[in-house]
This record gives sequence, C-alpha cells and structure tokens, in this order.
Amino acid sequence: MSDGAPLLETRALSLRAAGRPLVQGLDWQVWPGQRWCIIGRNAAGKSTLLRALAGLSVPERSGELRWMGRPQDDWAPADAAWVRSHAPQQSVDRFPISVQRLLALSTVRPGRLDAVQVLRELDASELTQRGVRQLSGGERQRIALAQCALQGAPLMLMDEPVSFQDPAHQALVARWLAALVPEGGESALVASAHDVNWIARTATHVLALTGDGGWSAGPCAEQIRGELLQRVYGCPWRETGGVWVAA
Amino acid sequence: MGLTGTRLTALALGLLTLLGLSVSAALLLGVAGLDLEMIAALRAPRVAAAAGVGALLALAGLALQVLLRNPLADPYVLGSSGGASVGGLLALMAGASLWLGAALGALAAGMALLALTRAALASSDDASPRLVLTGAMLAALCGAVATLLLALTPDQQLRGAVFWLVGDLSGARGGLACILAAVAFAAWLGHQHVAIDRLLLGSEVATLLGEPVRRLRLMLLVAASVATGMAVASAGAIGFVGLVVPQALRLVGVQGSRDLAWMSAVGGAALLVLADLLARTVVSPLELPVGAVMALVGAPLFIAVLHQDSR
Repeated sequence: MSDGAPLLETRALSLRAAGRPLVQGLDWQVWPGQRWCIIGRNAAGKSTLLRALAGLSVPERSGELRWMGRPQDDWAPADAAWVRSHAPQQSVDRFPISVQRLLALSTVRPGRLDAVQVLRELDASELTQRGVRQLSGGERQRIALAQCALQGAPLMLMDEPVSFQDPAHQALVARWLAALVPEGGESALVASAHDVNWIARTATHVLALTGDGGWSAGPCAEQIRGELLQRVYGCPWRETGGVWVAA
Repeated sequence: MGLTGTRLTALALGLLTLLGLSVSAALLLGVAGLDLEMIAALRAPRVAAAAGVGALLALAGLALQVLLRNPLADPYVLGSSGGASVGGLLALMAGASLWLGAALGALAAGMALLALTRAALASSDDASPRLVLTGAMLAALCGAVATLLLALTPDQQLRGAVFWLVGDLSGARGGLACILAAVAFAAWLGHQHVAIDRLLLGSEVATLLGEPVRRLRLMLLVAASVATGMAVASAGAIGFVGLVVPQALRLVGVQGSRDLAWMSAVGGAALLVLADLLARTVVSPLELPVGAVMALVGAPLFIAVLHQDSR
C-alpha cells in the first residue's frame, strides 16, 4: 500500500450486461479527498459499475481494478473490508434487528467514527432503538449511509444515496458527505445520483456514462455543461440563475 | 424493540426453569414411590433423547434460517429430515448403521438443496421464496421415496420402521451423544455469532464486511445436516421444533445469534421433553408418536409465524 497510489484505479475496465456495453475502456483514478458522482440515464450501468468497484459480482467484466495500487483480486475479504464500503440502492431486511445492533455489526474499524455523532448528523438520533423493518424508506436509507460510513473504510461507494430523501434531507446528506470526505482528507466518495443540482453542490468530480459504453471523467465544473448533459441524458439542458433544468 | 438486560436475563432464567421442570416431570410423573432404578433404566434414556433431539433440531433450524436467510427454514420443511429418513431406511434395509445412514441422507438432502438453489443464493436477493419452495419439493420427494422403501421393508421390521419414521422416542437411543453434539453446535454458533449476525443481513453485506461467506455457509450446512441426521437417527423425523423454537425466540425479541443459539437449544430440549410427556400420558397406557403431537402443535404455530412475518 504505497502512499503514492490512488485509493481506486481502473485500467481499461469494461462492463457489459445482456450483451450491451455499459462502460468501455475506463481509465480512471480516485484519490483521497475526492467526492465523485456518477451520472447516466436509467440502465446506463451506474449500479453495475459501483458493484464492480466494490468487488461484488457483475455479469461481464474485463480490465484491471486496483485498490490502493493492489489488484482487487489480491485482497482477502477481511482486508478488503478495511478499504471499501458499499451502500446498496435498497437494503433487504429479512430479520428483525434494531438500528443500534445493525450499526454495531456494520462497524469493521471501530473508533474511526462515532455512531452517536453520525446518527445526529444524519437526523437519525431517534431511530437507534427502532427496528430496521419499522423504518420509512428515507429513514432506512439514512441508516444505510451511516452503515457505509461507520464501516470505517476510506473508499465509500454509495448507490443513489438520496433517492428516498425529501429536499431538506437531500441538502442535509449533501452537507454530511462534504464533511465526511473533506478535500485534503484521507477518504474518498463515489456515489451515483440523478439530480444535477444536488451533484453540483456535493461532488468535486463527475464521471459521466453515456449509456453506449462511452464515459467522461473530470472536475465537477468542467463536467456539468449543457453539451455533456445532453449527451448523457439525451435532452437539451439550460442553466438559469445557477440551476440546471432539463427541457 | 429487541430484548436487552433484565428482560433478557429473565427470559433466560425462565427457559432454564422450564427445562428443569419438564425434565423432572418427565422423569418422575407416574412413578410409584421414588423408584430410582426404574427411573434410571427406563425414563432417563428417553428424557435424555428427547432433550438432545429437541436441542439439535432447534439448532439445525436456526442454522438453516441463517444459511437460507429465510425465517421459515427448518430441517423438516426443507427436506433434510426427509433425506435422513430415506438414508436411515436404506441403511436399515442394507443392515448398515442407522446413524450413519441418517446423517449421510441428511447431508445429501442439504447438498441437493444447496446445488438446486445455487443461482438464487448467489443473486443479490438471496432470500427469495424459491429456496423454501425447492426445499418443500425435496421434502415431498423424500417422503415419497420413504413410502416406497416402506413398501419394500420386510414385515417383521415394518412396524418399527413406521414408528421411527413418524417420530417416536419410546425406543430412542443415543440421547447422551445428541446432548453433547447439541452443546458443541450451540457453542460453535455462539463463537461465530458476529459472522452469523452479519450473514443474516445478506450474503453480499457479509462479504462487504469481510466475512468468509462461502466457508461459513458450507459449515452451517454441514453442521445442520449432521445435527438433523443425528436427531432423525435417534427419534425419527420430528417436525416443527426447528422452525418454532428460534422463531418464537425472535418474536419475543431475542436478536443476537449468541443468545439465540443457546436459548434455542434449551427451548428445543424443553419443548420436546414436554411434547413427549404429553404423547405418553394423554391417552395412557397408549402412546402417541411424539412427531404427530409436535405437528399438531407445530402446524398452527407455523401459520401464526407466517402471519407475524407479514408485519
């Protein structure tokens, strides 16, 4: 684990699903202190890419993927848990368990973050004694984000972290993520999202998937432009008073 | 939600008291005077077998519920007991060891279930109803094979074989071995409690948290199969203990696998000792097969659990 290596690196990474290319030849690096958002239309491959980055199984994959400079396959499961965490789009809870117990089980590197404080920051302090199956969609999602952070891994992967959040909680999660992964810090974030304006205030960098295997990666300010957004979403975009609107 | 502290301790003490009371009642009830010799010779082996088998079945149910991440998993429902019955009958007919035959049969049924549901287990929703349905079909298949084997069984062995199949503790042997195995099983589950609790969150979640999921699942399958095989060899195919005991504990709020493991063992032992006591006293001097008594109690409870699960 040399200090000079990026937290996450892909070389010629290609992903396919049902014979369709999702990402082709992705050469990409994620460094500590960066907050990446992945954008792309529905079924463009955002979730599949996040799963591949986390080391979970995906339909078809080729190319190289490294964590901290070391190939993903060389990491033992127990060591990998120290490096990356992953919050799925939706958690499936089959058995009753309290939020408190769930968070205790999700902690791999204790002492990195304080559960009580994370829950307070996520407006979830009142949920500790509740059962996970009694939570609303938005509450459960904020608990999933807390799980992801409390695992203690520097590389945090989150699949649509605000899809169930109301506007106030979307803003809250944006502030929380910015504080969790500060520029110049040791950790990094890769999250998928749809709301361009939320991304503009949350991310430092954007990886855009065009849905045909094409991609474009770079700083947020360079990526969020009408031309690229049109290529990604297939509809014209305009900016009025700093707010992006799809036409 | 979730039992903690005093209430958990109270439940634990209650379970231990229940076990103590049911064991004393089963040992002493209906014995004229205090005929220790008769108790030791006749009652003790039967009570020991009931306790050991009940504990093993409850633990096997708990392990299968973790393995398939389905609250309705149970060795009887999923065909492990059926596999053990078929293996045991085959061994009986071949003149080989009933114990070995039953254990191998349970293991084979478990392996078949795992092989058939591989794809469903590997997918991200590893708790699909396909698993339980496949298990139910396996159980039906094993039941059919067992019936066919019975048709081929010589007359002088038939009555014993039928009683053994339905679940019967009157001639049960190996009680001490079952109790020791149950203690070892519960201790192992307790030792692995963090990994098991994580596995219950989902196999992918457990993988992400660094647990050796594949090895853990294999160990759970082998342990549950051996436990089922031992239980069936000792007392025949007794259903519902494995489903009802861990479920009831979850419903009252026991959540951690460490508590669930030893409480399931104690609860399963107490339940089967009580059921056997009922089976041999209700219409005394006739004896009912304890498997039938358990099913009479267990089936309505199963429905209640299904009802609860829709919360």
